[in-house]
This record gives sequence, C-alpha cells and structure tokens, in this order.
Amino acid sequence: MSESMSKRLAAIAKPLACFAVLVLIWQYGAPLAGIPSYVLPLPTEIAQRFIETFSVQMQGLAMTAFTTLAGLGLALVVGVLLALLIIYVPLLGSMITPLLAAFNSIPKIAIAPLFVIWFGLGYESKVLLAFLLALFPIFVNSVTGLGEIEADLIDLSTLAGGNRWRIFVKVRLMNAVPYIADAVKVAFPLALVGSIVGEFIGGNSGIGHIILSGQFNLDTPLVFATLLSITLFTTLGIGAVSLFENAFLTWRPSQRRR
Amino acid sequence: MSVDIRNVSKSFRSTLAVDDASLALEEGSFVSIVGPSGCGKSTLLRLVAGLIRPSSGTIDVRGVPVKGPLRNIGMVFQSPVLLPWRRTLDNILFVAEMGGLKTSQWRERALELMQLAGLGGFEASYPHELSGGMQQRASICRAMLLKPPLILMDEPFGALDVITRERMGYALQTLWDESRSTVLFVTHSITEAVLLSDTVVVMTPRPGRIRDIVPIDLPRPRHPGTLREPRFLELSERVREGIEAQWME
Repeated sequence: MSESMSKRLAAIAKPLACFAVLVLIWQYGAPLAGIPSYVLPLPTEIAQRFIETFSVQMQGLAMTAFTTLAGLGLALVVGVLLALLIIYVPLLGSMITPLLAAFNSIPKIAIAPLFVIWFGLGYESKVLLAFLLALFPIFVNSVTGLGEIEADLIDLSTLAGGNRWRIFVKVRLMNAVPYIADAVKVAFPLALVGSIVGEFIGGNSGIGHIILSGQFNLDTPLVFATLLSITLFTTLGIGAVSLFENAFLTWRPSQRRR
Repeated sequence: MSVDIRNVSKSFRSTLAVDDASLALEEGSFVSIVGPSGCGKSTLLRLVAGLIRPSSGTIDVRGVPVKGPLRNIGMVFQSPVLLPWRRTLDNILFVAEMGGLKTSQWRERALELMQLAGLGGFEASYPHELSGGMQQRASICRAMLLKPPLILMDEPFGALDVITRERMGYALQTLWDESRSTVLFVTHSITEAVLLSDTVVVMTPRPGRIRDIVPIDLPRPRHPGTLREPRFLELSERVREGIEAQWME
C-alpha cells in the first residue's frame, strides 16, 4: 500500500520537477537572452496577470467550458445513435458511411464562418462547431465498440434466451464503453478547439475572446495567462475520464497493473 | 428421444457440409461427434442449435421441430468467450440475465458449480486473471447454470494443452454428473470422445457423413484407470477404424 503510494507520488513528482526546472530556465534565461516581455513574458509576469484577471478568466472559461461540453455531449448522443443505426440497419450504413467520411475530410474550421451566418454570434455556433469536431472520433469508435463482438458471444447469448435489447445493453453497450472513453479523450480537446475557433471568429465571450483582446492590446502576459486557464480546464477534463477509467474499467488490458 | 436428427443435409453453395445425417440422442445422454477438421461436426452442432437451417431433413428437440435458434440451451465454444468486464461469478450468471431471470435465485447454484469445477475462491477474479483451463471451466459452469435440457460443446478443450485437457475431461464429467443435461460434444480426440461419452458418432469429411455410431458401455464414473482397460482400447480401436476407413477408399 505504502509502496504504491510512494510510486504514485513519484509519478507526479517527476514531471513536476522537470516542469519546475524548465520554468526556472525560462525565468532566468529569457532576460539573459534579451527577449522582451511582449514576445515572451516571464513566468512571474504571467502568474501575476493570471491572478489580476482571475475573475475574467473564470467567466470566459465558464462560457468556453459550456460550449465545449455541450458540443461534446451532443456529439456523444448523435455519434452513438449514428453508430447504432449503421449496425442495426446495414443498408443505411452503406449509404451514410461514405458520406460521413467525405464530410469529415472537409476541415471543420473552414465551415465556421458559415455557422456564424446561420446561427449568429451567440453560443449556438460555438456549440455546433465543437459538436462537429467531436463527432467523428466518437462515431468511429462507437461503430467499433458496438459492432466488434465475437459472433460466438452473440450466439451464446441468443441460445441462453437473450433478445436484441438484452444483448444490446449487456453485451454491445458494455463492450463499447472503453472505446467511447478513448474517443472522448480525443474528442474533448477537439471540441475545445471548435469552441475557441468559434470565439475567435465572432462574439464577445469565452476564452477565445480573451486571447484575441490580449493580441489586440499586445498584452502577451494575458495571452499566456489565458493559455494557463485552458490547460487547467483540459487537465480537469482528461482527469475526469481517467478517474472514470480507474473506477469502472480496471479490467482493460491497458489498465491492468503488474 | 431428446434430440432427433432425421436425414439432415446442409450445403453451403456447392459444398455439401453434412450429407444425410440421422442421429438420435437420448434424454440425459452424453454423445460425442468425433472426426477430422472439415467433416461437418460443427455444422451439425449449429444445425441442432437452430443457428442455421438444414437444406433438407428435420431436427426435433424434445419432440418440437427446430425452426430458429433454441432459447434455453447451453453452449461452450473452443474459446471461453467470457465477458472481460465481468468477474467470474457474474460471467457465469450472465446466462440467467440473458434468459430474463433473477440472478439472485441462481447465485447459490453458480457458487456450487464453481466449487465443483475447482474455481472456488475465484468468484471475484476477472477472466484475464484466470488460466486458460480455468476460463474454460468457467464457461462450462456458465453453460450448465440454468440446467438446460441440452448443452452443445464445440471442441471445448481444443485450445488447451494435452495434460490440462485430460484433467478438464474429468472436471466436465463431474459437472455433467450433477446436471445430467443431454450433451452433444464435438471433438477430434478419439480418447476424449470414448472416455466421456455414452455414444460416439464418427464423422468423415467431403461430404460430411456419419460413418459409425459406437455405444460406449464403460462403467461410470470414468477415471484415469479407464484409459488402460481393454474394453476402452477396443472401443477406441473401433472409432479409429471408422475414421481410417475413409482413407483407404
């Protein structure tokens, strides 16, 4: 027990120590190299700016977090439903899948201005952009997770009296959970990209807007401080998925401890 | 008769996988189908389960014609097909859930079966924490949980090493003795077939045909000593002759 605790501490301490060294080099190296503050502000300046603008940062973050999570949630629902459709109605699958793949090849960022035209500068266009970016990885992994079941297992379940619904809930859905958890790890940062790009393009709220205002005023410390806020958010998000994995997916090969 | 197979043929495109097979299984008997790969053993098993339909002929299970997948039979495959996210006990109770039954009423029996199969103490282990032989024993427990009238086994020990395989045979005998379900057991091991069965059905390939049906009159329970009895060797020899006969043609 204590051994695993110390192992965990070491796992946290090592990257932290590395980070601390990098920050020290930055803090004392940048002035020596003559890099001006508007190009690369010192860590202390960034921290100071972060504290000064904390309430604004958190307000912006709340908005961005909302559009990101709403887009991600929507992508989860639609992605899984689309996957189900494709698995249970193969004809529809053969019609939809190539279209989706073709659509996915369009850089979603390029569609962003269109969304502003259609849905305005409010949160809707940002949610939609986040949704679009998150949709594909969730859809693809759901198809794999729900579909790649050993035929023997389906036969065995059927012969034991299982109907479609029971097999869906207890076999397919359960099989898909780790695949979807993996997809969320990829889709979450993508949804965040969607939200921030949406904020860059229009509107006056969110993290993206704060970064833009930092750029206009050549307030580089503010830009960095905002990046710090985003990092906090993504760390929390990925941490939540990892917590879920540790709690419910201990049986996964990648989670097995030796 | 528990299972009555009458003049069943099955072809896949132009290949005749099973050619005019007739076979009757008595209620509570242990019947093995033995033969080389590609002789239609597994196809016959899937036909009985109702997973595929015969091209011609009929199959009755307990007097009822098989028209689609049977809904209350046990199945064991070559691989254990356990659910990796379920602990062993919950894996065994899985079939109760599939049957729409209350798992609480089958828990006791699941625990007893695990004890009999030498899996006591591993109730809370995940499949990946068990050895291959243990996983397969768990899958046999699962097949027997609901005391199904019929259990189909498709080369259940095919993936195990020879030593584990023989021990598994005795474990299976113990479990079967408790449930007395009718068992249709597919294998390509003559020894295994003769050791475990009441009847051995010999099949030969291209096309898949029943070549011989050998009643096994060895006393039960069978044990390692059985393998050395003259009667066992005699019966094994007869099964072997059925398989070799085709090579000479």
